[in-house]
Amino acid sequence: MNPPQHPFSVRPGAVHHREQPVFWLFRVATYFILACGAAVFLNIVVKGAGTVFKTEAPFINTTFLTEAPESLYIFEWEGKKMEMGDREFRAFKEQNPAAAKVKAESFVYSAGGIWPCIVGTVLLVVGSMTIALALGVCAAIYLNEYARDGAFIRFVRLAILNLAGVPSIVFGLFGFGMFVIFFGWNVSLLAGWFTLAFMVLPVVITASEESLKAVPKGFREGSLALGATKWQTIRKNVLPYALPGILTSSILGIARVAGETAPIMFTAAYVVRDKLPWEVEQLGDFFFQGVMALPYHIYVVSSKIPQNEYTERVQYGTAFVFLVIVALIATVSILLRNRLRNRYRW
Amino acid sequence: MESPSTASPTDRDKAANSSVRMGTASLPAGTDPSAPRSPASRTLIDIEHLDFFYGQTQALNDISLKIQDHKVTAFIGPSGCGKSTLLRCFNRMNDLIDGTRVPRGTIKIHGVDIYQPDVDVIELRKRVGMVFQKSNPFPKSIYENITYGLRLHGKTEKSKLDEIVEKSLRGAALWDEVKDRLHANGLGLSGGQQQRLCIARAIAVEPEVILMDEPCSALDPVATAKIEELIQELRSRFSIVIVTHNMQQAARVSDRTAFFYLGRLIEYADTRDIFTNPANPQTEAYVSGRFG
Amino acid sequence: MTPPEPAPTPPPGFVLHKKRLRFLGLTVEDCIKAFFGGNAIMSIVVLALITYFLFREGAGFFGQNRQNLEVYRQAGLEYVDYLRQQTDDHTALTRYLSDVRLRALNHYAEERKLSFEDASTALAPFDEFAGKFGDAVEPLRGLVSELSDVATAIKTKFIVNEDKKEERRQLLAENKAAEAAQVAITPVDFATELKPLLGTLPAYKDANREFAAQLTTLVSRVPALPTPDLQQRMARWQQLARDYLATFPTVERNLEQWDYRQPVPAWKSFSSFVFGRQWLTASFWQDWYGILPLFVGSLLVSLVALTLAVPLGVGAAIYVNQIASTREQKIIKPCIEFISAFPSVVLGFFGIAVLGQALRLLSQQEWLAWIPGFPYSERLNILTAGCLLALIAVPTIFTLAEDALNNVPTALKEASFALGASRLQTTLKIIVPASLSGIISAVLLGLGRVIGETMVVLLCAGNRIAIPDFGRGLAVITEPVHTMTGIIAQEMGEVVRGSIHYRALFVVGLVLFILSLLINYLAQGIVRRYRISIG
Ligand SMILES: Nc1ncnc2c1ncn2[C@@H]1O[C@H](COP(=O)(O)OP(=O)(O)O)[C@@H](O)[C@H]1O
Ligand SMILES: [Mg+2]
Repeated sequence: MNPPQHPFSVRPGAVHHREQPVFWLFRVATYFILACGAAVFLNIVVKGAGTVFKTEAPFINTTFLTEAPESLYIFEWEGKKMEMGDREFRAFKEQNPAAAKVKAESFVYSAGGIWPCIVGTVLLVVGSMTIALALGVCAAIYLNEYARDGAFIRFVRLAILNLAGVPSIVFGLFGFGMFVIFFGWNVSLLAGWFTLAFMVLPVVITASEESLKAVPKGFREGSLALGATKWQTIRKNVLPYALPGILTSSILGIARVAGETAPIMFTAAYVVRDKLPWEVEQLGDFFFQGVMALPYHIYVVSSKIPQNEYTERVQYGTAFVFLVIVALIATVSILLRNRLRNRYRW
Repeated sequence: MESPSTASPTDRDKAANSSVRMGTASLPAGTDPSAPRSPASRTLIDIEHLDFFYGQTQALNDISLKIQDHKVTAFIGPSGCGKSTLLRCFNRMNDLIDGTRVPRGTIKIHGVDIYQPDVDVIELRKRVGMVFQKSNPFPKSIYENITYGLRLHGKTEKSKLDEIVEKSLRGAALWDEVKDRLHANGLGLSGGQQQRLCIARAIAVEPEVILMDEPCSALDPVATAKIEELIQELRSRFSIVIVTHNMQQAARVSDRTAFFYLGRLIEYADTRDIFTNPANPQTEAYVSGRFG
Repeated sequence: MTPPEPAPTPPPGFVLHKKRLRFLGLTVEDCIKAFFGGNAIMSIVVLALITYFLFREGAGFFGQNRQNLEVYRQAGLEYVDYLRQQTDDHTALTRYLSDVRLRALNHYAEERKLSFEDASTALAPFDEFAGKFGDAVEPLRGLVSELSDVATAIKTKFIVNEDKKEERRQLLAENKAAEAAQVAITPVDFATELKPLLGTLPAYKDANREFAAQLTTLVSRVPALPTPDLQQRMARWQQLARDYLATFPTVERNLEQWDYRQPVPAWKSFSSFVFGRQWLTASFWQDWYGILPLFVGSLLVSLVALTLAVPLGVGAAIYVNQIASTREQKIIKPCIEFISAFPSVVLGFFGIAVLGQALRLLSQQEWLAWIPGFPYSERLNILTAGCLLALIAVPTIFTLAEDALNNVPTALKEASFALGASRLQTTLKIIVPASLSGIISAVLLGLGRVIGETMVVLLCAGNRIAIPDFGRGLAVITEPVHTMTGIIAQEMGEVVRGSIHYRALFVVGLVLFILSLLINYLAQGIVRRYRISIG
């Protein structure tokens, strides 16, 4: 029983059947990428969760999140294997004089937590993004609102494009040469802020310009036709509508700033620092102190110290916290941006 | 130069010269700029030998034309003939576009040459309001849309603002439709209402002239009729220059009509004359719908 | 003629002039504009500052390196290195012999099931031969170590003197002339210092003649080996040994002609950096700053990364843009964007903790032994780093390539469909070629991204500073390397400011910077040149 034949009926072996394998190839490539990403993410989340969460209440390892890193001491005591952080161990020795001579193995940074790193990262991100946003938004306003096409503007745009391609380690070297040495700021928050800010500047400028472009021309013309000055127009009728877009797109810049290690390695990050950033004598010192930072801490614990099962705990814990923070920032930015795109239809 | 009166002797000379030239050359028959029909019809905008360039392309070529006070003047012509360009010269909106030039000619409003360097564009735009082809209410409340221009110019007194908002909305025949939702977003209005809101916004700052660039081209016939009605009401208080594609509209609303073609002014006369008795064959061809 | 119109008198309120506040002839508006303009210039300024500071810190390198090379020559280190080359080459031959012995031993133990003693007995003639070969070099080696001490002593003397000079200069700068005068500087007279060194030449010639004679006899009498394969290896060794012997006259000539007064030309300092095959720092003998091993390392890692990332990234872009349903698109795009937010240090850590080990295990699977380089034992190597970098490059390539595909005018696509082309035909024959320039520039920018990536290579590339052995063909990707970015990150924290090493790192940074500009330039050039101008 043949189906009715007509000129448009599907022929056996028609092109689109032969195409399917090729389509599948592309499909596999795509999902392979997603699978790799998921594998990395899940590995760190699953293993890191063991450090960050606990089985009993309050279910979160508060020590890990709220204390500074310490050395871990492991020793036999009355037939039991004891694991203690540095401070705990000293207190223990004071209580039990007999323990003074006990032979303990020590593992650096394997006890305590990562609170100073979290604080440092947050400070670095907030400061550098503030600088980058201030510079970037102003630059974008100039480029989008004031600039008239010409050799100079093309040069500026070229500079922005090129700046975006400069490797982060080069920013680190530059920050080291300029802020740390030439300005004599030493390894400090301030040096890190500026280094990171310059690094994300192109991202912020591009994001801001895009958002400014999305504000319809009619808003500007309407305002100008009513006798507003250019600045009045920008301030009252352009910026307010561009700002949400600028901020959300810049969040991706935050993810970049928070995630980079190379630029802060020699400009802002300390391997270890006992004091928290606000424990300074003068306000001025606040800006000129180095901080611990999550990415740098991961680098230190995963390559600068001997590896064993105890360090692995900290490594995964830190990586987990860091990844979750960055991932949250990125997700929020991506979601917000998609929402925003749908909401503003002028 | 603080006051334009100091400039008037030279202006007068120019005016005298140009009117001589005009009579002989550029204006076609049927136009008699020296014979205003009523004492109220003074010249408001006086354009003389205006050339206009977008970079290298010339959009206007030797335009001379006098627009009269408290009249509705319509610009008609096929698309791309420079109507909008000329209109946007009156409040110098073209300044915003890169590479625009006015190498020759003058535009005087009340005898003040607006392309002189000492003219403050901001002041000019306060006097010359504009309504755009695509309605562009700001994404603010209706109330804020109308007070936007006033606040810019330093009026912040609440009772005064309320008063002006009501007056402007009434003036734009929108008051009854929106009086209960003055604080709703202007973008929530229908297309015709949005355009009337833009008109209200323009008249709130009390300009001398309102320029309208195809204000009805995006509207349905009912909304168009409302706007046309509105223009009839506004003509007593403002001078209006309206660009339109629609010849019936020009015939319905305007007192005087200028027909442009390829960047040139072909004919400028009373609307009735243009539509019933055009002097120029091109005009006739256009108004009778044979091209355009 | 009509009478002129009465002069228009503006109504009282009609004033188009307004006095605005001015500073330095600028209105407030102008000032605001200038302020924003200043911010826009910032990116140029930053770029200029980067260039300036890299040059500022790095520029001194070539001068210092030249001095470094001069000392190398004047203190006689270069002379000794000629000799040392000879002993080193000999060592390489010895190593070849031990490799052959190991194989022979394996053969005896596994194929012939001999006990260890029996195997050793069977290998006795070989061992005797190898022993003789090894011992022959001893006199020469003794000479080298003796001369090394002399040369090192001269160098130390010179350096101490330089330090003193520096000290005096500083004292003078601090206006302490008296103390400065007390700093004793005894200039090093290289001619006299080098005498003992150069005096050994006749002795060397004797020793060398003896050595050559011994080797010649040895080489002609290689012991027999059990299998053809091993025999073949020995023949190869013989060839190598003959080549080695042939170098002796050159060495002698070099030694005779060597002159410490010969100046080191300036370009030498540059070429020894650009083409130098060694990056050796904090060495007791001589520091070398050759960027080649680092550059090759960066390049290999990037190539591996791109080889993986380009098909995946571009394939995914084509899939998402042309094949996937809208719903799939809406999920896949943010997910890939999300991957791009992974911090590189976390990926590097993942490489150390999981991927390195996993890949090594995979390489040890029997059924994968056909892959060049498998199995391997170094956990951290080019392959590990390359795989992770691919994950970093994929989102960049994907996003940019997808943009490029998106920019193909719909008209082209519709025209193709209207001619009865299928979806695949349209995609591959119309859309991909039309967006090829965009895709190529995406790949280039992906390259820029991976070449500049630091943490992953620092953690996962294995950090061995040597040019990998290209003789192994594709298997080279299983060797550890060091990279330009990695070396900066690793050594910057430990160097003395202003030292030659410090400056060398800045020059490496400069190379990276220039490389990134170059890649950017190429990418933009391609896009601009081949942009399609339809629609
Ligand atoms: N921003 C611009 N840049 C360059 N040329 C323009 C621009 N705007 C308009 N033109 C050109 O100027 C001429 C007149 O345009 P326009 O005044 O908008 O015509 P109309 O409003 O009568 O349709 C047209 O040929 C158009 O191509
Ligand atoms: Mg128009």
